[in-house]
Amino acid sequence: MNTSERYNRQIILPEIGEVGQYKLLKAKVLVIGAGGLASSILPYLAAAGVGEIGIVDDDVIEISNLHRQVIYKSSAVGKYKVDESKLMISELNPLIKVNAIVEKLSGKNAISLFEKYDIIVDATDNIFIKYLINDACLVTDKPMVYGSIFRFQGQVSVFNYQNGPTYRCLFPDENVQSLNCEDAGVIGISVGIIGMLQANEVIKMILEIGEVLSGKILVYNILNNEQQKYDFEKSTNFVMDKEAFEEKYKEVENQVEEISVSAILNEIDNHEVLFLDVRNEDEVPKINFKNGIRIPLMNLENEFKKLNPNQTIYVYCQSGIRSKIAVELLQKKEFKNVKSIAGGALAMKQLLKEEKLSL
Amino acid sequence: MIEIKYFGAVAEKTKCEFEKIVSSEISLQELLLDLEEKYQFNSLSFSVAVNQKIVPKATDFTLKTSDIVALLPPFAGG
Repeated sequence: MNTSERYNRQIILPEIGEVGQYKLLKAKVLVIGAGGLASSILPYLAAAGVGEIGIVDDDVIEISNLHRQVIYKSSAVGKYKVDESKLMISELNPLIKVNAIVEKLSGKNAISLFEKYDIIVDATDNIFIKYLINDACLVTDKPMVYGSIFRFQGQVSVFNYQNGPTYRCLFPDENVQSLNCEDAGVIGISVGIIGMLQANEVIKMILEIGEVLSGKILVYNILNNEQQKYDFEKSTNFVMDKEAFEEKYKEVENQVEEISVSAILNEIDNHEVLFLDVRNEDEVPKINFKNGIRIPLMNLENEFKKLNPNQTIYVYCQSGIRSKIAVELLQKKEFKNVKSIAGGALAMKQLLKEEKLSL
Repeated sequence: MIEIKYFGAVAEKTKCEFEKIVSSEISLQELLLDLEEKYQFNSLSFSVAVNQKIVPKATDFTLKTSDIVALLPPFAGG
């Protein structure tokens, strides 16, 4: 059908041709994160005819994303980013396959996801996840296309390409903090440029043309247009195989700290502790802590500023599942001492009954 | 003259993107200690490049005039 007409202007490039276009069609690329970087990565990969694109992200579109995440419409605020980006791609190029994966990348799903693709693109805004992507790429032997932003500067590199150097060879110290866009501020153009450079690395790898940014990090400053490349070598003192991976990321999965209901008994009258109920307004049994507040989980993202990030906060819901999600959310917002009450309101009510206490 | 380039959060601390120091016979580790003292990088983590090449953390050698040292922290935005 109209395939060759659609791609004609790139097929006539001697570096691409019909053979190159076929390579693009056969390629499978997984993009982690559907934010600012992905907003230029996705349309350019899709338009060029990359045959299968997976997108992993569990966020919904917020109004404050739109100035840089230019593939989303104002009318889509509140919808899942992966669903909207799939929609955008299918309108741009209906000939390719898109897998919208509404999940948060973790030690649990990374390996099985990565195994289905040829190239993994890091379009995240979180250093911890970057190490996770790097390590899962090592286990599954996939190249990782890295991109990252700090205000008006960006970094691009390709790790683990043909057994080349990795993110850990460049930045061995994983216990670092660096500001993400929400905290540091960002302009759409800088993420757009860096995302475009990432898409370019993906296309070059698929077509086997040019020089891949392997063993090199490109640093781009959009304020003065300076670009520099720095070389780095593979360091041999880090081993990551499937076993090591599972061991390492098993621990982190349990990062949400829980507190048992029996431990709660001693804290009921502690004025320094706040009890946060994240159930909806109509849910019972009610527990009337003297120092308690109710913010339903769905409102927490907008209302967390009512809380003091330095206070000890015990979060509960009905059974202890939503409260874990709330703890994760608060930890992301730099809350230092939040725990989830295991078993939730039901377990607390039961214990209070046993202890013949009422609240 | 040795030129030092700063990026990302490191440049926020130094409040400049590059500077030149007049110094002879200074080693890389001495230079890094001097900069740490001057700017108090504290918990900031960064990799160090000399003449566009990242060097392992503990590497030490005497810097030559006209060497360019760069401090590169990881970025996190996206």
